[in-house]
Amino acid sequence: MLVRDIMRSPVITISPGTTLQDAYRIMQEKGIRHLPVLEQDQLAGIVTDRDLRLATSALSASPFPPGGRVSEVMCRAPLTADPMDPVEDAARTMREQKIGCLPVMDDARLAGIITGIDLLDALMRMTGVDKPSGRLEVRLPDYPGELARLTAFMSHRGLNVHSILTYPEGPGSVRAVLRIGSIEVRMIAQDLRRSEFEVLWPPEKPCPR
Amino acid sequence: MPSVIYHPAYRKYAFGEDHPFSPLRAEMTLELLRALGHEVRTQAPEPATREDILTIHADYYVRRVEELSGGLAVPDCEEYGLGTPDNPAFPGMEEAARWLVGGTLQGARLISEGGEKRVLQLGGGLHHAHRNFASGFCIYNDLAVAIHHLASRGLWVAYLDIDVHHGDGVQQILYEDKRVMTISLHESGKYLFPGTGEIHELGFGLGRGLKLNLPLEPFTEGDSYLEVFDRVVPAALRQFQPGVLVVQAGADAHFDDPLADLMLTTRDYEAIFRRIFDLADSLTSGRVLFTLGGGYSLRAAPRVWTILYLLMHGLPVTSALPEAWREKWVHLAGEALPRTLHDPDPGHAGIPNRGEIVHRNRQVAQRLLDAAARYWF
Repeated sequence: MLVRDIMRSPVITISPGTTLQDAYRIMQEKGIRHLPVLEQDQLAGIVTDRDLRLATSALSASPFPPGGRVSEVMCRAPLTADPMDPVEDAARTMREQKIGCLPVMDDARLAGIITGIDLLDALMRMTGVDKPSGRLEVRLPDYPGELARLTAFMSHRGLNVHSILTYPEGPGSVRAVLRIGSIEVRMIAQDLRRSEFEVLWPPEKPCPR
Repeated sequence: MPSVIYHPAYRKYAFGEDHPFSPLRAEMTLELLRALGHEVRTQAPEPATREDILTIHADYYVRRVEELSGGLAVPDCEEYGLGTPDNPAFPGMEEAARWLVGGTLQGARLISEGGEKRVLQLGGGLHHAHRNFASGFCIYNDLAVAIHHLASRGLWVAYLDIDVHHGDGVQQILYEDKRVMTISLHESGKYLFPGTGEIHELGFGLGRGLKLNLPLEPFTEGDSYLEVFDRVVPAALRQFQPGVLVVQAGADAHFDDPLADLMLTTRDYEAIFRRIFDLADSLTSGRVLFTLGGGYSLRAAPRVWTILYLLMHGLPVTSALPEAWREKWVHLAGEALPRTLHDPDPGHAGIPNRGEIVHRNRQVAQRLLDAAARYWF
C-alpha cells in the first residue's frame, strides 16, 4: 500500500494572500484542518486550523486580525511525501515530527495530501513497522487453507512473523503483507517461489548475471 | 604505513555452515592478498572487555548473551533477538563477539592514541546490533563501541555506512549524540531489512540534523549511487568537520549479493573507496577506520575488500586472480570464482527501468538535503 493509494486528490489549496478569515471559512465549509498554500503552483507552506486559532486567539499578546494574511502564520517548507512512498513510512514521519498531514509531491507538483485520518483508514488494512524486519508481499488464492500454507512455511523455517495482514485484492485473490524478523527476506522470497507461492515483493531480479 | 587488524579468533564468530555471515570471508580476502604477492602484516587485537561492551550495551542484555554463550537456557532470549534464524545461539558466542569488538576498538585506539591514519579492521561492522537486542547477524555493536571511544577522546566522528542495509543500530545508539554524524547509504526499506533508514530520521535533541540516510531504489546502479554520494556526503562532512571517519564497508551492495538488490560493481566500489580516502585526506588529516560488514557473495566480497586494501596502501589494482586461490575456495562459493579482480564490463545484463531509478534517487537526495539543511544553517 502506497501513499498514492490513500492520498486525497485533488487538494483544496489557498494562496499566501488569502486572509485568515477566508482560510477559516474554507476549513469550516469543507470539514478539513489542513490547507496547503500554493504560490504560482509551487508549494509555499501549509496552514492548519491550529495555526489559525493560535494566531487569532484573544489570549495572544498581539492577535492577528481576521484580515491578516495566511503567509504570516503558515508553516514554511513543510515536510512532504512521495506518491510511491509506502504508507507506513509516511506515518512514521508524521508521528516523529508530530505533524498532522503531509502534502504529497510528484516532482514539484502537489499531487495530493494525506492526514492522520487517512492513515487510520490505512491502519485498518495493514500494520506497523516497529521492529527490524523485512517485508514480503504474497498473492494468495482466495480459498481456505492458503494463508495456513504460508504461515506453515514460515513456521517450518523458524521465522518470526512480526505482522501479517491480508486484504482482498480482486476476484479470487488475497494480498498478504508480512513483516518478517529476518535479514534474509530475499532468500525467503526465492524459497517461497520454489514452493509455488506468487511473491510480488521483493521482485525477481530483473537481470540475473 | 596503514594498519591491518585481524586475529584467527574472528573465525569463532560463526553461526553455522549454512549461515550467510561466514567468517571465512576475511580469510579469503587475506589469502587472496597474499596469493597476489602482498606481504600483509596484521596486528592482533585483544578481545574487548565487559566494561568496553557496557559503554554501549545494556547490562541485562549482555547477561543474556553470556548465559546463552555458556550453554544456559534463556527462556526469553527471542525477545532480545537471540536464538533466532538470523542470530542462532552458539557456545562461545559472547567471547567471539567480544573479539570483533576488540578489533574495531583497537583500530580506534591506534588512531586516537597511536597517531595512525589509515586502519583496516578485517572483521566487525556489526551495525544492526542495538543497545539491548541482537539483530541481523549482529550481537555486539563494535562500531558504536569504537565511535564512543573516539568521541570520548575528543575526536568527533563521521560514521559512513555503505553496507546495503540501513545502519540502524549505530544510528539509534548515537541518535542524540552531537559528537557523531552518521551517514548511511542503503537500499530503501521498501522490502529490505531492517525497514528503517528514511530521509526524515534526522537525529534527536543535540544530534538533530546529524543523522543522515540516503535510501536508494532497489536495482540502483553505480552511476546513480555515485551521483547521490557526491551530492550528499562531501557537503555533509564539510558541514560537520569531523576529526576521524569510521567506515562500515559492507560489500553487499554488489550486484552478485544474494540478500539485496543494489547493483554496484567492483569498479563502483573502487570509485567509492577513492572518494572516501580523498575526503579523509581533505577533512580528517587522513584519519579513517574501515571495518568489514555485510557481503554474502563469496564471489564478490573478497574482491571488494582486496581492492580496499590495495587502495589503502597506494598499491595498483591488478587484474588476474591466482588459480590456486580460485581452486582452494571454489567449494565454499559453490561455483567457479571469477578470473579477475574487477568484474567483467559490463558485469550484468542491465536494468530495464534505469531512468526512473536515477530520477527517484536524485529526488530523494535533494529531499534529504532540504530536510537536513534546516538544521545546518
